[in-house]
Amino acid sequence: MHLSKEICGQLSDRELVEKSLEQVDYFSCLYERYEAQLLRYVKRMGVVTEEEAEDVLQEAFLKAWKNLNAFDPALKLSSWLYRIVHNQAISCLRKKKSFGKDQRDEFDDRRYANLQDEAPAADPEVLERTDQNIHKMLGELPLKYKEVLVLKFLENMSYEEISDVLKIPEGTVATRINRAKKAFRQLAEQHPENLEV
Amino acid sequence: MKPSEKLLQKIIEEQSEPAPRWHFAVKNKLLWLAFGLAVVLGALAFSVILFAIQQTDFNITSHLSHSGLELFLGLLPFFWIIMLVAFLLIAMYSVQYSRRGYKFTLAKLVGYSAALSILLGTLFFIGGGAERLEQAFALNVSIYESIQEKKVRIWSMPEEGYLAGEIVETGLGTFRLKDFQGKEWTVSYQDAFIPPVVLLERGEKVKLVGEIAGKDEFAASEVRPWGGVGSRMRRGGGNNGKKKG
Repeated sequence: MHLSKEICGQLSDRELVEKSLEQVDYFSCLYERYEAQLLRYVKRMGVVTEEEAEDVLQEAFLKAWKNLNAFDPALKLSSWLYRIVHNQAISCLRKKKSFGKDQRDEFDDRRYANLQDEAPAADPEVLERTDQNIHKMLGELPLKYKEVLVLKFLENMSYEEISDVLKIPEGTVATRINRAKKAFRQLAEQHPENLEV
Repeated sequence: MKPSEKLLQKIIEEQSEPAPRWHFAVKNKLLWLAFGLAVVLGALAFSVILFAIQQTDFNITSHLSHSGLELFLGLLPFFWIIMLVAFLLIAMYSVQYSRRGYKFTLAKLVGYSAALSILLGTLFFIGGGAERLEQAFALNVSIYESIQEKKVRIWSMPEEGYLAGEIVETGLGTFRLKDFQGKEWTVSYQDAFIPPVVLLERGEKVKLVGEIAGKDEFAASEVRPWGGVGSRMRRGGGNNGKKKG
């Protein structure tokens, strides 16, 4: 039975988790609540196509379902879901890499379709190109830098949330963000044309 | 079909169920139990290291004519050091993989585990448990060279100036000593430094620093108790060192 948006909307994350454990249909509410946000995150992490991103999300939610009793109520549900989705996305990217398909070589414009909302108002075409270039540059960074930059500046997460997603101490998050910013700046200086608006 | 419906269908088709709550609770408790156990075992290892340090005269290595470094390395209780490091790693690993263990930095994990092991180990050492544990180990593990055996090895080098054994007979300015190989020596100690804890009695075990003075003769410049610092504490020695003769 598929539940209506009204029913889903009345319940908090924690209530939905409890209800899901009693009746699986409520789990679809959680999926719908976080689908857009997590799908966008999977694409930002470098999963190229829409189909692949959806597969990643489906697999991640299956894992979340199987481990629903492991959810620690001290955490935000979003952080916990991000963690599972993150691991699934990384696993997907590694698999692709091992088959010789490096995601950096397959730059797909579609993955940035939802990103314009972060850009300031200006020439949309130029902005979109800059946005794409920024994401191209993020793809050039080592994964440990890319993931913190995406979570901090694109997903707007706090240090505590990033710590919960990546399962690293908050101090390490701060250090990694600092180093990632330096690495990104260095890359931007090497390719200033990427940031020209 | 909407992706959320697809997900539900998959769950129902696969008859997938969430793993029970107790499964995760047990896993978490086991990790903390492993942490506790590793800290206690690390503490035992640390206490034996303290005992080894107390029993071993590292300062003599600087006086030896052959490789002091080689001897120093030979004296280190490597087995217990490796044990301590291994248990610290297990303790750190256990916490890190517990539910919220990722919140701890590596420095905190090392610090807390080591501090607990050091604290418990020191208490165990003060209580005399380290000596008993080490002895039990030496008795039951044939390949293990005990601290006592290492010590005997070091203090059985009269040609290097180190001799130890049991006093079997006392005289004026001399005593007869039976070393750990069963050989008897006449030891002269007229000018020797002798701490008050040494009573120079029959049956007393002592270690000597000095030189060979002739066939089966040894001139001691220092006479120390065999047991190290612990023997002073046990026998209640209090006054300063003096020369006996």
